[in-house]
Amino acid sequence: MKKVFLVAALVLLLVTSVTFGAGQKEAARPKVTVFWALYDGLTEEYRANLQSAFMKEYPHIDLDIVPIPWDNVYDKLTTAMAGKNPPELCVIGTRWALELLALDALEPPEKYVNKATMDNIFDGAKEAYIGGTLWGLPIAAGARVLAINTDLTDKVPQTMEQLREFALEAQRRTGKYGLVMPGKKHTELTDFLYYFYSNGGEFFEFKSDGSFGKCVINSDVGVKALEFMVQLATKDKVVPAGYLSQTRMESHPVFYAGDAAYVMIGAWADSALEQAGAKFKVKYAQIPGFAGKKSAPLMVTDSLAFFKDAKYKEEAGLFVDFFYRDEWKAKFDELIGFPPVTKSAATLPQFQTPLYKALGDAAANAKPIPLVEGFAEMTDVVWDAVVMAYLGQKTPKKALDDAAREIDAIKASYE
Amino acid sequence: MKQLPTKKLSSESRMAYALLAPAALFIAVFMVYPVLYVILMSLFKTNKLGILQNFIWFENFVKQFQKAVFWEVTGRSLLWTVLAVLTKTVLGMVIALCLNVEFRGRKFARILFIIPWASSVPISSMLWKWVYDHEFGLLNHTFISLGIMRHPPVWTGDPFWSFFACLWVDIWIGVPFMALVFLAGMQSVSRDLYESAEVDGVGSWGKFFYITVPSIKQIIFIATLLSSLWTFNDFNTIYILTRGGPAGATDILITSIYKNGFEWLRFSDAAVMAVITFMILMVVSIVYARVYFRGGDEAL
Repeated sequence: MKKVFLVAALVLLLVTSVTFGAGQKEAARPKVTVFWALYDGLTEEYRANLQSAFMKEYPHIDLDIVPIPWDNVYDKLTTAMAGKNPPELCVIGTRWALELLALDALEPPEKYVNKATMDNIFDGAKEAYIGGTLWGLPIAAGARVLAINTDLTDKVPQTMEQLREFALEAQRRTGKYGLVMPGKKHTELTDFLYYFYSNGGEFFEFKSDGSFGKCVINSDVGVKALEFMVQLATKDKVVPAGYLSQTRMESHPVFYAGDAAYVMIGAWADSALEQAGAKFKVKYAQIPGFAGKKSAPLMVTDSLAFFKDAKYKEEAGLFVDFFYRDEWKAKFDELIGFPPVTKSAATLPQFQTPLYKALGDAAANAKPIPLVEGFAEMTDVVWDAVVMAYLGQKTPKKALDDAAREIDAIKASYE
Repeated sequence: MKQLPTKKLSSESRMAYALLAPAALFIAVFMVYPVLYVILMSLFKTNKLGILQNFIWFENFVKQFQKAVFWEVTGRSLLWTVLAVLTKTVLGMVIALCLNVEFRGRKFARILFIIPWASSVPISSMLWKWVYDHEFGLLNHTFISLGIMRHPPVWTGDPFWSFFACLWVDIWIGVPFMALVFLAGMQSVSRDLYESAEVDGVGSWGKFFYITVPSIKQIIFIATLLSSLWTFNDFNTIYILTRGGPAGATDILITSIYKNGFEWLRFSDAAVMAVITFMILMVVSIVYARVYFRGGDEAL
């Protein structure tokens, strides 16, 4: 009996080893892993087609485009890096580049990407320049605009104060919401920055050498921006009642459903509205500044980064050249709605729509998120301050004063 | 000279060790080593990838204990666990009593009750997230349609209601386990005891308190211990519903560990909280074990 048992165990071990060995043999082709952030509007069909088309052209390379919700990309990337198994490529928020550089995790794309591909990208879109080196290829670069549901209103506000007035009027007349404004903490700080930047706010003081100094979100302009947001949400009640339980992705469907007059949104608007089957007409305008202030919309850029410790970077470079061809990159830009970052795609007819015109105008005055280490934690701190102001737990001034102090402490911990 | 007796392993023992070795190795690599590494991280300064830098003794612990938010989160974790486990135990007992009675469709009812526990926790949490949705959710729609509430709260956006909204989902998922375990215990209680009690004129409450509960006491202990351990570490429910918000109102130790470790890359801080969680749960387990085994001795 014992012998039978022993023989059975040995056979099982042998079978497992052979299967594993066969699997290893199959995986002998270079495998390029791409962490693929899921933008609004980007379809699974596109990802699957891109993957199979590349492998058809390069049959000796295995490509795995791993789709990941935006909120989880950072976690998944850092986990992969900690496990010494980074992807060859990852779509990153350009603001993460500083932290990744501090970990010595990145490699300049110029080493692996064709010169023709690099030259086809607009210089102005290359935001990931740090210390004179480009650390990521721009994959998406877009400012934000104001979308207007013309079934509910056709008024274009020239100031934030007018936006409030028109939103209230549209709400009173139609019974729908005046403005969409998410109130639940999430990865992006955009929904605070719309108002903050529109009032001329700066996150940090600038030192004489151009580096960031003390946090000044609690300046008069910052406090006024937050007071305005609190007024819209809690006194005017012009935003959806459940705003505190909605992130950006959860609140925008209210607009897509035709239930709100205004929303501050990005380049994915047309694509998302089409996918939601929206039947109403939409007009685009600039996000206005507060009275007496110039409009300064937010500019958000994302980059495609190469990772130093990945194995198949040469092959990853081939994928990047393939992906940045118009037939794929232009389609990508169309789906997510961001303006093209490549010169050849920018001339295509599908990018001459009113939305793209509005985005182009917005880009002229747009301001990026500050590139500073620990920004993920700072985002959390600001969001907590905003939510506490909404809940009435702190006044906007106290909330931002406390937040500024915490942010200074976070910044100091990285110096 | 006397020869000392040598302990020789029998061939069966050798076989047992050989067969246990792979599992032991697996546990050592995937459980023991990570636990030890986390303890080390709590005593070291770490970089953003969790790699140990400088040994700083208990500096990380001192820093953590000085933060008011740490105590808030720890207190909330204990409150969360006590309320959830208590409710699950009571509801589980009630359901088990009902399912222990013979009625038509009992088997079907038992199958239905297992569904929340059999479904994956993230799926159940996402389902409830939609139920709670203020604009499109079933709960508010029901309340408004039936005239129960005209302006229901924002279940996952209000600091007070969000805690109880998350608690309810944890209870909903965990009750079937408790009910099934208690039911299994009740089914093993001899019918003769109940019949004798009836003959003696003991009512339903008496049967429950003097026969059922003492008979399944050990099972209640084990079930509540397991439930406490799982509930204290229930990450999925809170993270999916509220991510610890609004403004930290539903943050417990496990969600705080995740935030510090994986969102802010502050691995030392996360490790300290993980070690403290480990110690709390160890104390709970030891107390339970002492009560359980003392109860066993008294039974003898």
